[in-house]
Amino acid sequence: MASLDDPGEVREGFLCPLCLKNLQSFYQLQSHYEEEHSGEDRDVKGQIKSLVQKAKKAKNRLLKREDDRAESGTQGYESFSYGGVDPYMWEPQELGAVRSHLSDFKKHRAARIDHYVVEVNKLIIRLEKLTAFDRTNTESAKIRAIEKSVVPWVNDQDVPFCPDCGNKFSIRNRRHHCRLCGSIMCKKCMELISLPFANKLTSASKDSLSTHTSPSQSPNSVHGSRRGSISSVSSVSSVLDEKDDDRIRCCTHCKDTLLKREQQIDEKEHTPDIVKLYEKLRLCMEKVDQKAPEYIRMAASLNAGETTYSLEHASDLRVEVQKVYELIDALSKKILTLGLNQDPPPHPNTLRLQRMIRYSATLFVQEKLLGLMSLPTREQFEELKKKRKQEMERKRILERQVVLESQQRFEERRSDLASRAANGEVVSLRGGPAPLRKAEGWLPLSGSPGQSEDSDPLLQQIHNITSFIRQAKAAGRTDEVRTLQENLRQLQDEYDQQQTEKAIELSRRQAEEEDLQREQLQRLCEREWEREREQFRAASLHTRTRSLDFREIRPFQLEPGREPRTHLAYALDLGFSSVQSSAAAEPPAPSSALEPARVWSGPPALGQEFFPQSMISQQNELASLNPFYEEDPSSPTAGGTTSPPAAEHSFGPSVSILKEYNPFEEEEEEAVAGNPFTNPDSPAPNPFDEEDEHPHQRPSSPPVPGNPFEEATCTNPFEMDSDSGPEGEEPIEEELLLQQIDNIKAYIFDAKQCGRLDEVEVLTENLRELKRTLAKQKRGTD
Amino acid sequence: MNVVFAVKQYVSKMIEDSGPGMKVLLMDKETTGIVSMVYTQSEILQKEVYLFERIDSQNREIMKHLKAICFLRPTKENVDYLIQELRRPKYSIYFIYFSNVISKSDVKSLAEADEQEVVAEVQEFYGDYIAVNPHLFSLNILGCCQGRNWDPAQLSRTTQGLTALLLSLKKCPMIRYQLSSEAAKRLAECVKQVITKEYELFEFRRTEVPPLLLILDRCDDAITPLLNQWTYQAMVHELLGINNNRIDLSRVPGISKDLREVVLSAENDEFYANNMYLNFAEIGSNIKNLMEDFQKKKPKEQQKLESIADMKAFVENYPQFKKMSGTVSKHVTVVGELSRLVSERNLLEVSEVEQELACQNDHSSALQNVKRLLQNPKVTEFDAARLVMLYALHYERHSSNSLPGLMMDLRNKGVSEKYRKLVSAVVEYGGKRVRGSDLFSPKDAVAITKQFLKGLKGVENVYTQHQPFLHETLDHLIKGKLKENVYPYLGPSTLRDRPQDIIVFIIGGATYEEALTVYNLNRTTPGVRIVLGGTTVHNTKSFLEEVLASGLHSRSRESSQVPSRSASRR
Repeated sequence: MASLDDPGEVREGFLCPLCLKNLQSFYQLQSHYEEEHSGEDRDVKGQIKSLVQKAKKAKNRLLKREDDRAESGTQGYESFSYGGVDPYMWEPQELGAVRSHLSDFKKHRAARIDHYVVEVNKLIIRLEKLTAFDRTNTESAKIRAIEKSVVPWVNDQDVPFCPDCGNKFSIRNRRHHCRLCGSIMCKKCMELISLPFANKLTSASKDSLSTHTSPSQSPNSVHGSRRGSISSVSSVSSVLDEKDDDRIRCCTHCKDTLLKREQQIDEKEHTPDIVKLYEKLRLCMEKVDQKAPEYIRMAASLNAGETTYSLEHASDLRVEVQKVYELIDALSKKILTLGLNQDPPPHPNTLRLQRMIRYSATLFVQEKLLGLMSLPTREQFEELKKKRKQEMERKRILERQVVLESQQRFEERRSDLASRAANGEVVSLRGGPAPLRKAEGWLPLSGSPGQSEDSDPLLQQIHNITSFIRQAKAAGRTDEVRTLQENLRQLQDEYDQQQTEKAIELSRRQAEEEDLQREQLQRLCEREWEREREQFRAASLHTRTRSLDFREIRPFQLEPGREPRTHLAYALDLGFSSVQSSAAAEPPAPSSALEPARVWSGPPALGQEFFPQSMISQQNELASLNPFYEEDPSSPTAGGTTSPPAAEHSFGPSVSILKEYNPFEEEEEEAVAGNPFTNPDSPAPNPFDEEDEHPHQRPSSPPVPGNPFEEATCTNPFEMDSDSGPEGEEPIEEELLLQQIDNIKAYIFDAKQCGRLDEVEVLTENLRELKRTLAKQKRGTD
Repeated sequence: MNVVFAVKQYVSKMIEDSGPGMKVLLMDKETTGIVSMVYTQSEILQKEVYLFERIDSQNREIMKHLKAICFLRPTKENVDYLIQELRRPKYSIYFIYFSNVISKSDVKSLAEADEQEVVAEVQEFYGDYIAVNPHLFSLNILGCCQGRNWDPAQLSRTTQGLTALLLSLKKCPMIRYQLSSEAAKRLAECVKQVITKEYELFEFRRTEVPPLLLILDRCDDAITPLLNQWTYQAMVHELLGINNNRIDLSRVPGISKDLREVVLSAENDEFYANNMYLNFAEIGSNIKNLMEDFQKKKPKEQQKLESIADMKAFVENYPQFKKMSGTVSKHVTVVGELSRLVSERNLLEVSEVEQELACQNDHSSALQNVKRLLQNPKVTEFDAARLVMLYALHYERHSSNSLPGLMMDLRNKGVSEKYRKLVSAVVEYGGKRVRGSDLFSPKDAVAITKQFLKGLKGVENVYTQHQPFLHETLDHLIKGKLKENVYPYLGPSTLRDRPQDIIVFIIGGATYEEALTVYNLNRTTPGVRIVLGGTTVHNTKSFLEEVLASGLHSRSRESSQVPSRSASRR
């Protein structure tokens, strides 16, 4: 306690580096330094500051592990990848090595047991024979004859001394024969078996045949089966009156064996009370395990003001569960007090067992019952419903805001794109080598504004809600806390999604970068080709106009060469997933309402970009009678009149350009790394893409207006990989990279857990690439 | 590579395999400790294990309605006990697990004893070591060596423990050892022998880079276990002593009955898990927060429980509240006691000088400080002796070594003879003559620059400036720069890549300071996982006992009065 009262005692860490005066905190140290040593060397001061900051940072990282989602992108990353891993977080490991000796054990035991069982069986068979006849009404001579027939008696002459006690046999000390094994002993060493005892043993053997198939013996199958062999003895049970001569003489060894056998029989038949009670207790616990989650689900939903479950049903269930709890309590209490009033008090171990069972039952009840949340009353429920409605309303407004924002952003981008497109057109017509300028203009546009706008409002919202929760918690309004937490979770999910989007965007940009590089290369070839092209200028103009209709077609062929699926299926698929994606980005956003705006804003700017892609696919599908190929030459008019379905499809690309959520992301996790599918969406293949052919493809392509089909194949986005280290990228990109790496790590972890090893490999490969890129970048910035 | 998890998994598997029903766990002395480190009672109760019995306990009742899970070390005594048990079984069915390799003949004699066929399982589950933290294990052996050589019984136990660890983590490692230590070489050979003999067991999925087992000897760094510690776990062990996660607080003045012995386990004590590696100052502020939290949650008597809503809130928070109240009082007590000891023994000042002795090379200032502290009446004889030990170790060959003078001072201070003898014993144990590497003066340029920079910057915290020698060793190992002439490989093959999975074992015991170092290395080195082990985990007290047990007699100037005890041992 002293440490709390007197912190100076413990805060030993803050010593002034110049006068070694012990100060209590770094604030004090700082002020002390400023007062005392302000005239001295500045550098030292800077050092302290950085030191203090370092300490602060370290402390922060250690002290608050949660609550810093906002920073998790950067800080969490550091501890995860630059640093190794906290041993507590080491990936799950399989069970260590084991070795079983059971088969060996069984082999040895079987050899031994066979012997033992044969012995027991023999004895019991003989015993049965000995008791098979009516002993009371038979002459003793006859009995003796029968007894002798059961087992050959050992010759008297062979045994001069009692084998058990070593006394010499004489007339006084007479020899007695064991009726079960025929051996000889003296009277002292002789044992007697009463008929009821014999009966019990023989009849039990018979019973065991019938009972041993019953499941009562659970895993103890070893037990039953072998004993069963004993029961080969046929049945005889005669009801006998007890008489003096009703006993069978036998040796101690045989008696011992039989007694052991009896004990086994007793144990098998006897179930102590505690077991019965315990079984009931376990049944109750199982019931709770089944019902409680169901109830909690109901209660949570009701407390959130939802109307999925009825209040009555829930309260019924609650009563039911509570009854089971009471039963558990009662049963465990009963177990606790078992046998306490018996005369010889139970063994301390028994009492301990009972106490432990009671204790564990109490723990169980405590843990589960208290987790059983209460239900709202009827009035409260109504209130909750109202609240929820408001909440929904608020959410809707929020969504609308988000939508508006994104629209705005989109608008911006569009105008930019438009100008770019125009610019591109000029360049392309000129065929001039101006790729660098484009690169300059493009990157910041696609990167920075989008990100900062994206994250800020959401994070703010998250913070707000967190503080609401704190307030509500302080005020003790638990119900409200719950709803707020729900809300928070949604927001956080959304935020996560955005992070993923950013990551996707990053890979997209990488592809873009590569495109540019490629383009530069191609420029050289192009010069030559440009000359020829002059002749076809008119035709190329024609292509451009045509491109207007390609842009609508394009989504259908977003993934050429991926799978030979029908275009229609693709169209549906894409349309669907893009809608989904937008929904995911802004949860229940009325996306349909937005559609027109996007559709109309998208195409004019983007038309050109899609040109090459559509070309590829058309080229690819030429043989397969692409239905859209027909449209292709069908003049500009077709492009102008965007048919409704086509419009909807074009929604896909426009969304992706908004960087909302990559529709393909869901389809293949590992793709996130360098998601090849993002490439086609990316605006990267800028307007000049049509000329953007691969050098070696060039010669083969005939210089006709149709050639873009051919050329475009080599810009097949699936062939680009994202590993290319985009040098000299902005620092934002590095952050994105880090996020990307984190994401991949998560996926690797997930994949590992599910045992998808091939996926793990791919992902690890990706990860390595990304890391390399990162390192390269680092070097660049340093 | 998580050793706690590895053992826990074994225990869970045993319990799982025995099916539903009431169970009793039958253990021996050592396995009791092993299990208790990974499972708490309430946790294991929930798995229907209600009784914990020792196999050697005679007072066990026949309870045929229980299933028995036997987790035993494969010793001769245990096998004998088990044979007796099986002849007259007390429980309905037996699931037998040995914590290490058991001989075929033992299996046979057990099988022959099982006439009633009560045994349903016989397996080897290699949980044969004490898992302290995920990256730290111990064998709880105090006094493993006689002189410089192994006590044969301890060597075999250590070999078993180490091979069990490898098996439980499924690692078949390459082995390196400290050349200067005969014991390290011997252990390395024994482990290799087992791996060769049980090659079937050691057939695991090959990893790209094979794991590495590095065997070190405590003699190489006798400094670390002599220092006062300031991080929570290490400090508690140094000042109070941790024994299988248990801390004996009975000597604390005015201790309440239920706090006589407390358990500090990172597995189920969140506060401890979060704070065990933080330094004392941070713990102080954290425990304050914990208290405040607790006070906030603690219901303010009746008046606050007026409304039903309040009561509801209380009940809903109850389990948490109860758990928290336990945690709060425990940690407040522990930290309070630590703080009392720190001021009572003047440990801040002592520790500062200790650190100076361990990390700096200024002889005159060090000597002066030691002398000053020896005059201080608040400094206990234990701390005084340890200061002199540190001085003796560091300035053993210094030209103006004034150890005799300090010994005089010790005598004048009234330090008992036992401690004074230990000074020379410690030098004998870990002095320059024994050390394979240089503890104090940096050798290569990098280290020199590092130290230079350190001097320039000033130290962040004077009390924690010491870095265990292990840090340097591991750092070199990770970078692939550990010299093969000092730490050779056993056998012809060597590791070409940098190691990824590393198991370090210190003969003569590890320390919690080293555990912290390894923890930090794990956290800051990507792709590398290190597990640290030792014959035990030392604090200064146990280390001195270890030195005493090794029976090295003093060879110093005072050798005229050789301790008769160690002499008679020879």
